[in-house]
Amino acid sequence: MILPIGPIHPGLKEPLRLKLKTQGEKVIKAEIDYGYVHRGIEKIMEGKTWQKCIYLAERICGICSYEHTQTFSETIEKISGVQAPPRAQYLRVITNELDRIQSHLLANSTFYKTLDHETLFMQVLDLREYIMDSIELLTGNRVNMGWNVIGGVRMDAEDKHLDAILSKISYVEDNLDRHVALFEDAPILGLRTKGVGVMTREEAIKGHSVGPIARASGLKHDYRQEHHTYKDYFDFKPVWRKEGDNYARTMNRYNEITSSINLLKDAIENIPKGDIRRPVEVKSGYGEWRGEAPRGEVTYMIETNGNLIKRISIRTPSIMNIDSCAKYMLKDVATVADAVTTYASADPCIACAERVAITDISNNKFITKDFFEISKEYNNKFTTNDFFEISKDYNKKVNLSNKFNYNNDLEVN
Amino acid sequence: MLKTLKDIVRKSSIHVCIVNCGGCNGCDVELVACLSPRYDLEQYGIYVHNNPREADVILVTGAVTEQWRENLRRIYAKAPEPKVVVAVGNCPQSGDVFAQEGGRVLAPVSDFIPVDAAIPGCPPRPSEILDAILAVAPGAIAAKGRIQDK
Ligand code: SF4
Repeated sequence: MILPIGPIHPGLKEPLRLKLKTQGEKVIKAEIDYGYVHRGIEKIMEGKTWQKCIYLAERICGICSYEHTQTFSETIEKISGVQAPPRAQYLRVITNELDRIQSHLLANSTFYKTLDHETLFMQVLDLREYIMDSIELLTGNRVNMGWNVIGGVRMDAEDKHLDAILSKISYVEDNLDRHVALFEDAPILGLRTKGVGVMTREEAIKGHSVGPIARASGLKHDYRQEHHTYKDYFDFKPVWRKEGDNYARTMNRYNEITSSINLLKDAIENIPKGDIRRPVEVKSGYGEWRGEAPRGEVTYMIETNGNLIKRISIRTPSIMNIDSCAKYMLKDVATVADAVTTYASADPCIACAERVAITDISNNKFITKDFFEISKEYNNKFTTNDFFEISKDYNKKVNLSNKFNYNNDLEVN
Repeated sequence: MLKTLKDIVRKSSIHVCIVNCGGCNGCDVELVACLSPRYDLEQYGIYVHNNPREADVILVTGAVTEQWRENLRRIYAKAPEPKVVVAVGNCPQSGDVFAQEGGRVLAPVSDFIPVDAAIPGCPPRPSEILDAILAVAPGAIAAKGRIQDK
């Protein structure tokens, strides 16, 4: 039997449809349909100045909005051959880690919600508010911060603000242990989480999963290791585990919060004085840059033409993680309830995962192409508005895989 | 009799369904933050369960993408009368940054379903969201209920 869940469902934060193939209560296969929140951001960015694009980059995803602006700025800084001043780099680390903590706390609380453990859900969510306060104190906003600019950050932080953040962080640190202990040793929670939704290391590699999900399966990779700020100024080691089940993913996120708190303390103590922003003349060229968002690696590929963005391509972590969740974690789950928790434990973020992929199915060969490749075939004259036209005359050849796959049988569970 | 009783009960017990029809999920995160003990939506008798079939208030976030064109109307039709639609954030009102050339959004939401109240902000603070729901929902539900009775 096929059991559809979503796109609107109590357990899901964002619209997406899970199709579970079940045998009795047992889930044996899962398929995921997305495309509900495709907005065409990459296309909007073309031909605009970076001042406009950075707002768009921020609104790719609300939960990890910060990392998108940082990666965007650093890509353009790389193209222009400059680096932000040290104080700005430190401030970026502080904001980045605060953002990571709040995202992980949110992910874990959502996981508890799907487990129907209201107490932990509420307590962890409450803890998150202290981090949100710190973010607001530092940047002036809770979610979309508008904090990064090319060449640095927008505002300086005063010492009293940093001290206040430090005290809030200490409060969170003191209380976190209690919550972790509640989860770590609870026998019933253990039964619901240990050994459920296992993804092995090999599968994680095959599914290209990244971030805490991959690290919980034994892949020791965190892009912060290779980031120049973390390499130059901090002592950073990735946190990882071996089990690869729901328990490991949740615990891995907790351990990353602890490591982030240590980084934050280090950064606030040792922050140097100096400029926070450097004037940058944006050069023409192509550049690639990566950053470690809370959910894994974000890649930006940007081609600039003077001050304008000629083309941009963004690769976000969730798309791989959702796929490996459907393929490997949900391949053998005991009950439907466990399938929903497994999905929540993979911490999916749909808003940033939406892509249009075009699959060429002529000659029975499945070649998935993106906008750039198709556009090249059409001598760079291909725009989003031509998309419908092409899909009409390609009809047999091109199967528009996600966006145009309308669901006419929307059933709300 | 039963109807009036129902109206009285519904005034102080509001069921909410969140529909994200294509935003950056910043607004959804702030809606989740409303559930946290600091803001505690439930103390005001508001219960978020995300089931449109039982909802009194539909909170719409996001700028209506292609896929939601029909689905939004369908979800609206599924909610029982009387119902209130509250648009959260700039997205459902104007399309925010996505309503530019090249963007594939169909905002505003009011083209698709009637909107009773809107909360501007990108995203609005949880306290503002709370304020708006409390200000508009009980009155609007009661008023709509009365119109239906006639
Ligand atoms: S209004 Fe702003 S924060 Fe809310 S969904 Fe739209 S872009 Fe995101």
